[in-house]
Amino acid sequence: MTITDPGVSEYLLCFADDEHLMGQQHTEWIGVAPFLEEDLAFASIGQDELGHAAALYALLVGDDDRAIDDLALRRDAADYRSCHLVEVDTGDWVQALVRHWLYDAAESLRWQVFADSAVTGLAGTAARAQREEVFHRRHADALLDALLSVPESASRLDTAFRHLLPVALGIFEPVEGETVALEAGVASESIAGLRPAWQELVVARFGPVDWHSITPPDQAGRRLRSADFAVRYARMREVNDLDPAAVW
Amino acid sequence: MSGPVGALESAVRAAVAAVDDPEYPGVSIIDLGLLEQIEVSGERVEVGLIPTFSGCPALTMIADEVRASVGAVDGVEEVEVTWLAGPVWSVERVSGRACDRLAADFTVAVHLGPPPACPLCGGLTSELSAFGPSRCRSVHRCTSCGEVVEALRG
Repeated sequence: MTITDPGVSEYLLCFADDEHLMGQQHTEWIGVAPFLEEDLAFASIGQDELGHAAALYALLVGDDDRAIDDLALRRDAADYRSCHLVEVDTGDWVQALVRHWLYDAAESLRWQVFADSAVTGLAGTAARAQREEVFHRRHADALLDALLSVPESASRLDTAFRHLLPVALGIFEPVEGETVALEAGVASESIAGLRPAWQELVVARFGPVDWHSITPPDQAGRRLRSADFAVRYARMREVNDLDPAAVW
Repeated sequence: MSGPVGALESAVRAAVAAVDDPEYPGVSIIDLGLLEQIEVSGERVEVGLIPTFSGCPALTMIADEVRASVGAVDGVEEVEVTWLAGPVWSVERVSGRACDRLAADFTVAVHLGPPPACPLCGGLTSELSAFGPSRCRSVHRCTSCGEVVEALRG
């Protein structure tokens, strides 16, 4: 089933773009992650996120690969609806891991709202994705545990957490079309409604947080791209820009 | 199954079975549990597959090969191959025959319940990393013969 309601499309596009950008960022660690297994594992997890993005894009434009690529790669930068967390450059691997943890904790919650979705196929996709997120979160936790056992790494982890936490709050900004999507039974909970459960997970992992002192980024309902988006945009379109007729 | 539809469906099934997993030549995608449904309607065939994981990079290649293989069956005019949203794939779908081939040809164990047995000596393995060379594999070492073993995981 291809979705025709513009509000529902806009709502699902936000999640699809998050998954796409997150997958893109994870796969960039192939060849440069600190050790071989991690190199492969992070890129494999990124592939899952790209698979999730493709499944969501397919709901919007149908199963045709070309149509999915058009939507994923050949839009104007202004038409993306990603949150800033998935756009930012993470300077080092510790930052990338903390972002991976913060994002996937939210992502697991986001798939849950589709368990009884009125959109054909979305509940099935969500069930598969949620099972995969258990593995992704195990990966993030295992590596954070390893880093916490070394004082210098633990300190860098803490710095990365403080830096990324405000940006992560942008995930939960209400998005256009959400009211329509909720009324139509596409999802069972608003994105903002997931924030308390996510905050509990964050506190259980990283310790107490003074949430009132943290300001989310200005995303203008996800219509504003962050400064780092241009780099992401150029990189994910690199093959397409070299040869727009390329098939892969 | 009997009659022309049953015969055609059997031929289509055989054509799908002839497609191997790109990572494991000699292991049919049916034996790996990727085939969920075949629907024959006149000369039109719909094949419904499920991926091991959302991130499997071989999906397009597998679908293309199924389309070509089924398209070559006598009596088939049109083939549609779809990656279904459900059910969710798990290692329980891997056939005994595939388990044997994976062990013999690729030193890959199937991780049905920890710990998987060593494909070489049958000894116990211990997990080195849950995060192996691809999304569907973890890395183990045999505690008996020392072989490093990949395990297909659910």
